[in-house]
Amino acid sequence: MNIIKASKLAFEYLKFDEEGKIESRQRAVDDVDLDVQAGDFVAILGHNGSGKSTLAKHINAILTPTEGTLYVDGKDTRDESKLWEIRQTAGMVFQNPDNQIIGTIVDEDVGFGPENMGVPQEEIWQRVEQSLKSVGMWEYRSHSPNKLSGGQKQRVAIAGVVAMRPKCIVLDEPTAMLDPNGRKEVIRTVQELNRKEHVTVILITHYMEEVIDADKVIVMDQGRVVMQGTPREVFSHVEELKSYRLDVPQATLVAHELQKKGIGLPDGILSNEELVRELGKVRGIGVPGRTATGAVAGATPADMGAPECTESEAVAGATPTDVGAPERTVSEAVAGTMSTDAGVSEHTAGESAPPLLRLDHLNYIYSAGTAFERQALTGVNIDIYPGQFIGIIGHTGSGKSTLIQHLNGLVQATSGAVYYNGRNIYDEGYDLKTLRSKVGLVFQYPEHQLFEVDVFTDVCFGPKNLGLPPEEVEARAREALRLVGMKEKYFKKSPFELSGGQKRRVAIAGILAMKPDVLVLDEPTAGLDPKGRDDILDQVAKLHAEQKITVILVSHSMEDIARYVERIIVMNHSKVLYDAPPREVFRHYRKLEAVGLAAPQVTYLMHELAGKGWKVSPDATTVEEAAREIASAL
Amino acid sequence: MLRDITLGQYYPANSVIHKLDPRVKLAGTMVFIVSLFAFRSIEAYLVATLFLASVIRISKVPLKFMVKGLKSVVMLLAITVVFNMFLIPGTVLVRFWIFKITVEGVRTAAAMAIRLIYLIIGSSVMTLTTTPNNLTDGLEKALSPLRKIKVPVHEIAMIMSIALRFIPILLEETDKIMKAQTARGADFESGGLIQKAKSMVPLLVPLFISAFRRANDLAMAMEARGYHGGDGRTKMKPLVYKSYDKKAYLLLLAYLAVMFAASRVTVIEGLLHL
Repeated sequence: MNIIKASKLAFEYLKFDEEGKIESRQRAVDDVDLDVQAGDFVAILGHNGSGKSTLAKHINAILTPTEGTLYVDGKDTRDESKLWEIRQTAGMVFQNPDNQIIGTIVDEDVGFGPENMGVPQEEIWQRVEQSLKSVGMWEYRSHSPNKLSGGQKQRVAIAGVVAMRPKCIVLDEPTAMLDPNGRKEVIRTVQELNRKEHVTVILITHYMEEVIDADKVIVMDQGRVVMQGTPREVFSHVEELKSYRLDVPQATLVAHELQKKGIGLPDGILSNEELVRELGKVRGIGVPGRTATGAVAGATPADMGAPECTESEAVAGATPTDVGAPERTVSEAVAGTMSTDAGVSEHTAGESAPPLLRLDHLNYIYSAGTAFERQALTGVNIDIYPGQFIGIIGHTGSGKSTLIQHLNGLVQATSGAVYYNGRNIYDEGYDLKTLRSKVGLVFQYPEHQLFEVDVFTDVCFGPKNLGLPPEEVEARAREALRLVGMKEKYFKKSPFELSGGQKRRVAIAGILAMKPDVLVLDEPTAGLDPKGRDDILDQVAKLHAEQKITVILVSHSMEDIARYVERIIVMNHSKVLYDAPPREVFRHYRKLEAVGLAAPQVTYLMHELAGKGWKVSPDATTVEEAAREIASAL
Repeated sequence: MLRDITLGQYYPANSVIHKLDPRVKLAGTMVFIVSLFAFRSIEAYLVATLFLASVIRISKVPLKFMVKGLKSVVMLLAITVVFNMFLIPGTVLVRFWIFKITVEGVRTAAAMAIRLIYLIIGSSVMTLTTTPNNLTDGLEKALSPLRKIKVPVHEIAMIMSIALRFIPILLEETDKIMKAQTARGADFESGGLIQKAKSMVPLLVPLFISAFRRANDLAMAMEARGYHGGDGRTKMKPLVYKSYDKKAYLLLLAYLAVMFAASRVTVIEGLLHL
């Protein structure tokens, strides 16, 4: 039974000029046929701008088709008299948790939908209780939404939709703004709703791990449906997905790499478990050394005395499949040297020079002396050396954001000192403004800081504040925009006309124009699609390699961190838990899990294989390493 | 962090005053304030004091919260008292150098001071015992007859409660934007008035844009959840008068009656030969 049926659906965004004439047309959805059966779990994948959100908004008649038709439970969305019925049949959950919660108390917000429908008061309360229980938020019914985490807020939003008893729920990138734990919470809730209550679910996302269990996956690109099928079918086409700016689970990537090396694995492997199983079969059949030599060639072990490491990271361009991964620095090869104390191991990259930034016994307490007092940093000691590429990870609330705000003096520590180039920044008369030009801090969603009339002027804001002469200011702005890959044709455009990814690059250029020695980025990939994430991180890696800027990257993505950084600082409840190269840090994956983090997916894969007796190093943290390891073990 | 700030200084407690319908409290506050200005005699002020004190007692809110609101008017109070004491002509009570304090001056100063202080404390009682949303609900219900003359009462109430919900969120956003721009070398502190006003642009423009963006998102979410105006809506927490609400109204009437009577009595004044 079709619950959603679209035929030749097309939608055009029209832009009108001042006289009301059509200035431009943008065909966001083109010739889409969609068929969703009741009870299905359908995922719609696509890069930002592919038309998936526009398509989603047709399902509950927020938009009506320019061409073609869409029927929801047999009702035509163009029929205005059926509008409210359609919206009750197809509920929608949006991306931003805050901007869809209307009530000041959780139970009030969940009741908003039924109130609008004119449901009698008693029944509203029944529905509120049922919905909140079905998403696991009943204990929070009298709480203010402001005090909830992102994942909790999204669950409340889902409850708000469920309370309307829809047959179908559309979720438009519900996890894009959440941390990994929040994402898991929400997806688990949605899967349960689908399985237990048989609610049809249409999930729009660009996180591949979320759609592995879907009944059907639809891929969109430039407004058209370009791929359709089960997850297994769709994910087999790794290269095609990459051409659509999408990504696949790491296990699938590893399998793909191995296939390229000639190892006989079936298509469409989606998870670590499957890969381990299939590899087991291959080992049973495969002739040892058949394909191994090809992959191992050129991989000279250069690590000094490190146990179990069989490949060298210092070999540039070892595998042609390294998609944009930057060359490793010397320190990577030294990774795996013995750790000294409490997980803090010795670094050798650039450490002959004195530290550029030193955090000395830093403590920070929020709202000290009030009832809301909270210790955000405890006894933090970190030395940052010039040219390092450091990653900072930690659960939400661990102190990462507070920590980086100490680096440029935005926040003053309660006790302890911060030294930049040997000088204490808390000294009387220290020029914090100049410090901020040397330690550039890019906040999360930096595009929110854009305000000027055009792109170029906005990027000039930073250098202008430094009091530089106009020619210097303009030269720097030009250079900064070049560094982030923004072409000249965008210079005179209003920043608000740009796409999300473009805005972000302009914001980063705004900081680069101050010519910082240290670039700190707080979750620079938040909200971007897979290609967007890769682009930004590749750009940063390039900056690091070319301009020798020290880079500090705060991220929730273990995979991103593992790919780019040479040193990881793990924050846990205001303290530094580990400060070591990636290989070492991820060895403690059990402990990381206990504190709300994880290791990259491939690391788990390698541990499983090693556990089954494979001669592979369990320390692989990237897809390339994993593929090499496995290939050489065959 | 800033989200912990609760607006309107609501103090949660389990008292009858807290449970009263907001319309009763609104009416009560207005009645009290009007009574302070309409009825003038020492007896009347004594009755008012008694009334206020009992309400504060029943509300279980510590006195120190009640007087917090006075902090903001300390200056105004001081000026009022001083000017009235020294500048009103009449029978002189005390004289030193060129300053003289008259009987009328003292009387007027005292009356004004009492009115001001009680006014503030009286309003505080309401905001301390009623959540902002409860208040908007009360206003909406109380003003609903105005709908007949096309006043958009429901819409106004909806606007107010959404605004209340988003104030902490926007405050937090302001903080973030300030930090981001400071990281770019912006200076919000130094400079004269004009300089400071100019430096607000990098703060206000992003804030406004963000507010509009949120409003857009929220409107879409409300529509997706079937919102189509005030018609046909039911309420989860409708305001219905309980027995204690009705008793409260009666007590208010009684208070008015006593105040009226007290204002007619001038015994104490006579005794003091004022």
